[in-house]
Amino acid sequence: MNAWLKDIHTIWQTKFGFRAALIYLLSFIVISLLLPFLPLPYQPNVLDLEHIFQPPFNNFTTSTSVSHWLGTDGLGRDVFSNMLYGGRTALFISLPVMVISTIIGITLGLNAGYYGDKMLKISRASVIVLFIALACSLYYGLHIPLQAIEVKLELQIVALCYIMLGLLLMFLFLLLHPLLKKFMVFQKVFALPLDTIIIRLTEVLTSIPRLIFILALASFVPPSITLLSGILVLTYWTGTARLARAEVFRLKEILYVEAGVSLGFKDRRLLWKHVLPNMLSPIVVAFTFGLASLMTLESTLSFLGIGVPTTLVSWGRTISGIRSNTSAWWLVVFPGAFLGVTVLALQVFSYYILSSFKEKKQM
Amino acid sequence: MHYYLLKRFITALPTLWLLISLVFLLSRMLPGSFSSARILDDNAGFYSKANAESREKAYRDYLHKTSQDLPLFYFSINAAPEPDSLNLKYSESDRQQLKRLAWHYGSQNIVSEYFNNLQQVENQLSSNKKQRLQNELMVLHTSISSHDLVSSAQKVAEASSTTAASALEKKTIQLVKQQNPYSFMLPALHWHGLKNQYHQWLSQLLQGNFGYSYRNNRAVTEVLAEAIGNTWWLISISICLAFIIALELSLLMIQHPHSRWKKFTLSILFTLDSIPLFVLALLLLVLFASPFFLQLFPVYGMGFYGSEPNNIFYAIANQAPFMVLPIVCLVLSVLPYLTNQIYRALSDAAQANYTKTARAKGLSFRKIVRTHILRNALLPIITLLSDMLPSLAAGAIIVETIFAIPGIGSMAITAVQSRDYPVIVAIVLVIAIFKVLSNLLADFCYALADPRIRYSTS
Repeated sequence: MNAWLKDIHTIWQTKFGFRAALIYLLSFIVISLLLPFLPLPYQPNVLDLEHIFQPPFNNFTTSTSVSHWLGTDGLGRDVFSNMLYGGRTALFISLPVMVISTIIGITLGLNAGYYGDKMLKISRASVIVLFIALACSLYYGLHIPLQAIEVKLELQIVALCYIMLGLLLMFLFLLLHPLLKKFMVFQKVFALPLDTIIIRLTEVLTSIPRLIFILALASFVPPSITLLSGILVLTYWTGTARLARAEVFRLKEILYVEAGVSLGFKDRRLLWKHVLPNMLSPIVVAFTFGLASLMTLESTLSFLGIGVPTTLVSWGRTISGIRSNTSAWWLVVFPGAFLGVTVLALQVFSYYILSSFKEKKQM
Repeated sequence: MHYYLLKRFITALPTLWLLISLVFLLSRMLPGSFSSARILDDNAGFYSKANAESREKAYRDYLHKTSQDLPLFYFSINAAPEPDSLNLKYSESDRQQLKRLAWHYGSQNIVSEYFNNLQQVENQLSSNKKQRLQNELMVLHTSISSHDLVSSAQKVAEASSTTAASALEKKTIQLVKQQNPYSFMLPALHWHGLKNQYHQWLSQLLQGNFGYSYRNNRAVTEVLAEAIGNTWWLISISICLAFIIALELSLLMIQHPHSRWKKFTLSILFTLDSIPLFVLALLLLVLFASPFFLQLFPVYGMGFYGSEPNNIFYAIANQAPFMVLPIVCLVLSVLPYLTNQIYRALSDAAQANYTKTARAKGLSFRKIVRTHILRNALLPIITLLSDMLPSLAAGAIIVETIFAIPGIGSMAITAVQSRDYPVIVAIVLVIAIFKVLSNLLADFCYALADPRIRYSTS
């Protein structure tokens, strides 16, 4: 970890592009966080119906209204504040989605690569108990509470469901599992083909282009940011998982991991202390690329008006105003440039990290 | 070789099946279909002219016609009191009430008998009495409170004094007395057999029938066939152009590795890569097709449907201006990635020993690049072209929507917006199959380009 930070410091000192990109990204995050406290003349959803399709740099400040720096859209919404708040929305959607899908991807990819198809031994008793536990959790933890809310049962019923679930799980793991372990048939151990399962799963999820998959899924659910984020996580973990798996395969061959194995280190220690820190650079690169692609995707979806509520302030929503008036170039240029520059900064950032990582690998 | 390709195709089938089943089941499982909102809503569209009753009937007919009244899968696991299938005898609001009552009172049988009695009573009542008992009937149809139900049933029985009404009263009391509010804690397994939506859909699909569009009730295959031509031309012309330009650019860069021109091209491509496609398309639209700057190209559509459909040159001349901007957009969007990859493949091949040998024997570098390096760099490039499909398909969706080209992409967007599930599922399937086929084609070309593979697999 420390060595990695030292690398970053070296790039920071030597490369101008990296410095510029990092400063831009940090100030983007700070501005997005502080935005509600900044004194903007107009809030993003305020309609100024007297000044629609106002071109930018058009000073008409009077006693009653302040001028719109970057013009207005078809409903008189201020482009400047929509642009800033659009950045905030893009950040607030893409960052959590990417963090969650990176965690899922690393966990699955690491285990798939480390255990492979043969190393994860599991007894029949555990498989049976785990399967029943999963089914019970789906039924009592998800299906019944959702239905109960739909038919307006009291909330105590929902609480009762979870108590029931807890009792069932306790029964399964404390009573049934030891009981099954007593029988020879259930003691039998077999290897779980973890690698094959995870690779098949990523194959199914990537067998059609991501945008089409997301569009199809988004059409089944009502427009909402939470559901959309869920769909995005579902499609974005595969990249990191594949990367992590490939890196583990590479690292497994390297001497220090082999040395760890022969010293008798536990699996968990090897994975978290020796394998994970050494694949930090590729994962950071994948993270920033994912962030850039999510920001683009978010604004594309809100441009198409799919999956997000129309009240959501977003770059895409402002840009889609051009469809009703093709001469309103400022609706495309300013938010589009902001989006483009942000994506560019993310790419520059990951480009330098990637090239330093490659140099290190060659040494 | 053929055996190998066939094997690849067959191993891809389970993935396809899993994906398409997942999409189909999700599309039917999640609640709130668009058409229910459209038909049942009071002030929406055509149906608003009719009264509530005929709207209900239209909705039920629609469900029956699209076989959405059948159970979804071969089996279902529900809470025990839940009715196991949609019963089209009742209206939508009554079905909701049926479900609510079943959950609250725990017995599905008594609840459905209660509803039968209620309908009988309502049929027998004269309109005069119905008017007077309106409040009570309303309570019986919507309330779940035991006290309200019993008192309303008693009032109805007193007022109408028919046998059906007293039966209703008895049923209501029985319902309340035998209340078992925790019965849903137990799951119940229902077996539906082959008469379910999934089975019907899958067997139709295997016979080549994709179903009918919810929106205009046309066969999905027909709608797809109309749209696929435009998308096909758009994508194939763009990929050919992009490939040629990328190849020439990287050949130039390989021949002049230290020129200022190369640095300039690379930085332009790097910047181009960070502009999202829809922004790029709109920028081009604003620059070249709006009255504000230059109006060189027509903005929307694919030209008018001409009076001389037989003349192919006329058709091409008519449609070409409409295709220019979309193609330029797609080419520019894939160009950075493509150039980068081709350049990398070429410079790897330029480091190889055979290149050094060729130079040593005195060939000019120009000639080496075209004959020795290019042929060897072809292999990674072929895989690359089949990898391009996802970004091209995604690009086609955006470009077709912005420039209003009637193709698969704009059809997908319309289908998503109107929740036309048969069309969405069909598009997903077509694109997935297309991807499998393009992977196979890449394998085939790989073997053509590299004799080693050809001889080792056959």
